[in-house]
Amino acid sequence: MDVRVEGLIKRYGQVTALDGVSQTFPAGALTAVVGPSGCGKTTLLRCLAGFATPDRGQVWMGDRNVTHLPPQSRGAAMVFQSYALWPHMTVFENLAFALRLRKVPRRDIERRVRETLELVELDRVPDIERRRPRQLSGGQQQRVALARAIVVRPQVLLLDEPLSNLDAKIRHRVRVEIRALQRRTGITAIYVTHDQEEAMSIADMVVVMEGGRTAQAGRPEEVYAHPKSPFVAEFLGSTNVLAAVVDLDGRILASPGGTLIVRAEDIQLMPSGDIPPPGSAWADGEVVDVLFLGAGYRAYVRIGDEVVMADHRTSLPRGPVRMAILREKLFTFDRATPQSNR
Amino acid sequence: MAGSATPNMRDRPRGLSTLVFRAALVAVLLGAIVGPLAGLVLWSVAERWHWPAMLPQQIGLKYWIRITQGDLLTALNRSVTIATVTTVAALVAAIPVSYGAARARLPLGPVLLMLFLLPQAFPQLPVFASATVLFYRWNLAGTFAGVVLIHMVGGLVYTVWTMTAVFRAIGEDVEEAAINLGASVTRTFFRISLPLAFPGVVASAILVFIYSLDEFTGTLLVGAPYVTTLPVYMYTASLGYELQIASVTALVLMVPGVLLLVLLERFLRAEYLAFFGRL
Amino acid sequence: MNAARPVEQALWWLAAIPATMVIFVGFGLPLVQSVVASFTRDGVLTLANYELVYRLYRQDVVYTVQVAAAGLALTFGIGIPLSGYLRLHHSQTAEFLLKVPLFVPFVVVGHAMRIFLAPRGTLLVGLHALGLASPDTTLAISEGALGLSMALAWKHLALVVLLLMGAFRGVSEEYLEAARGFGAGTFRQIWAVLVPMAAPSIGLAVVLSLTSMLASFSIPLMMTKGSGPQMLMIDLYYRYGQHGDIGVASAIGVVSYLLAAGAAYYYLKGIAR
Repeated sequence: MDVRVEGLIKRYGQVTALDGVSQTFPAGALTAVVGPSGCGKTTLLRCLAGFATPDRGQVWMGDRNVTHLPPQSRGAAMVFQSYALWPHMTVFENLAFALRLRKVPRRDIERRVRETLELVELDRVPDIERRRPRQLSGGQQQRVALARAIVVRPQVLLLDEPLSNLDAKIRHRVRVEIRALQRRTGITAIYVTHDQEEAMSIADMVVVMEGGRTAQAGRPEEVYAHPKSPFVAEFLGSTNVLAAVVDLDGRILASPGGTLIVRAEDIQLMPSGDIPPPGSAWADGEVVDVLFLGAGYRAYVRIGDEVVMADHRTSLPRGPVRMAILREKLFTFDRATPQSNR
Repeated sequence: MAGSATPNMRDRPRGLSTLVFRAALVAVLLGAIVGPLAGLVLWSVAERWHWPAMLPQQIGLKYWIRITQGDLLTALNRSVTIATVTTVAALVAAIPVSYGAARARLPLGPVLLMLFLLPQAFPQLPVFASATVLFYRWNLAGTFAGVVLIHMVGGLVYTVWTMTAVFRAIGEDVEEAAINLGASVTRTFFRISLPLAFPGVVASAILVFIYSLDEFTGTLLVGAPYVTTLPVYMYTASLGYELQIASVTALVLMVPGVLLLVLLERFLRAEYLAFFGRL
Repeated sequence: MNAARPVEQALWWLAAIPATMVIFVGFGLPLVQSVVASFTRDGVLTLANYELVYRLYRQDVVYTVQVAAAGLALTFGIGIPLSGYLRLHHSQTAEFLLKVPLFVPFVVVGHAMRIFLAPRGTLLVGLHALGLASPDTTLAISEGALGLSMALAWKHLALVVLLLMGAFRGVSEEYLEAARGFGAGTFRQIWAVLVPMAAPSIGLAVVLSLTSMLASFSIPLMMTKGSGPQMLMIDLYYRYGQHGDIGVASAIGVVSYLLAAGAAYYYLKGIAR
């Protein structure tokens, strides 16, 4: 079931949280909505869930206009950032809550709770149904939250920063599990996160938001490789934004009129005076600092008034250096029209 | 999904039925809360009122005028003086306890806090009756000081508890920052902590002031026969079946409270009282 | 900074002395004194006071418990749904109105309720004006247990709602949204989420109101006439004031302490569980 929003506008007092968002979230896919805090991604999710009513615009689920339907009539279920598992109820009661509201017969409730716990691979935890959320680990609580959402068999699963309360290590594992679960069930999932790496690794499609609008949407690889604006380029990687242009010889020159965007991983560093590879843009600078990142090193190179991050396999001495970037890895934007000119 | 065909109005914030329900709720509350008080107003101006007339047959300010001559004014004056002294004393006495307990500098702080709750959570009359016997022995019965003391017994919990919560809410890091910059501990307390705690101080002052103004049990016992506050005066008037005088007194007695409620409602947030449940 | 030195600790104790002394002199000592007095008659240790309490006032103990229980049921029967509703659907007006009784002194409540609920009181006048009562009806509420518990509930509702609202506001919105997302309405959100999650605070509010109602004095003093069963505190007051009988008065007091302690015990047991 496709989920579609058209011209969504939502204001909270003076603040415009959504400023005309139109976007389709394809059926059966996992779409990540990503952006910095305050970009409107959570408001968008709340409008989809039915916890917020847009001031203008429509929300469609399949061929139904659900803009004014209450949450339970939309066929969508939500996983909350804090999980919001009711602490006074057991895992069974947490899952059964929605089923009881829907007047599901008692025997079916027991069966469906069991099946759902199997689906999120909690069935092997001893006595899981009778435990309370407090007695579970963070990762287990996360899975119960997921189970509570899918026990009603929603057609759309909404996830609000579902991993932000987990340790870095568990986060990677649960991420893979959520992805596997989504594939297995074929559910349409919309996943809000502020973590671009998480978004790109998990999603079929990424929607980058900025200031209440969609900045760019597409497959992760595509958005990463072809950012449509400096904002998107900057948001999706360790990216340098320079006020500069490239002249006819390939030299990078400071210029307040132009914007050059280059990723740290795309920069090649070489002794100053070396000839840059063909098809490169280049500039001379000075290494001012080097950080060890584990897998490699990150050099901070001063070029004119600006400092550029550049990744390098080995450590470098401070001092003069030349950096080169393949032209196709370089994004240039005019200040006036922030569109890619490449 | 089941039920999707019937849009549920309940969850829509401004559905018609919701508005009607809310209006009805406010109307019922208005009737239930203002109704009994409205009776007081009617009786205070009723010079003659026979059943089943809806309104008194003869309305006048006869009884209101009588208060300006009688000893009601004296009682009012005494009530306000006692309440003011009690409030200041309870605030000053409470600040070190609250601050010490909030910063965990005071050993046995939590036990001490429970101690202050005791007079409000325990039957007062028997204890105050027994206190009166003791106060007679100490020549405190029937004196201004004795009444202030008995008011503080019940009132301290409001200042101590409210200010403990407020001091706790002020992060210790704010104070440490000041001390780190070379301010003395005393200076930090008076220049940083106390100003930040001001809303809480005001809230607790209101609570004690009103408590003292309304205090009846302790005053009736300890204050007798020389210290007559407004509540005691009212009780005496109602004993003589002077409904009008009692009603006038009751209304006068409500003025400070209602005034404070209207003016300072924003200081009295539910949040300040939530700590009662957390102990 | 954190670990207070002994000298500093001593200073804090010194600063805490005035407040503590007030409680000690005005409450602690009299409390002990009253327990001692309840077992003493003419300077001799005896149970005579309690014997008299049992003989004269045992029905009043039952009556007091009944009135307090009815008052409690009224207060929380109204207070819980009301606070829950106001937590979910904010209403400034209703919240303001509910704070009013907080500022009405106990004695005034007693007097106002006496006028309001009297056989031909202002309530009946109002009902009559609305065409809901005929001229020859009378209401016999004010002097009985019902009128008393209504007056107690009226006064206690304000504080209870304030306490419950504070506790309900402490329940994070996401718990409620999670329930709303599955279609839980106002009633179910209150009953299945707010009430159980705020149970400790509700328990405390129940105990505070119950002890306060059991030991209520000014409201019954203003409302009751001489005959029929009385609240215990009225008995105590007359024993003390008119008979000067501090021994029996103290024994009644100790009975009220036990009732209050019983309520507190159930509360503490509930917390420990």
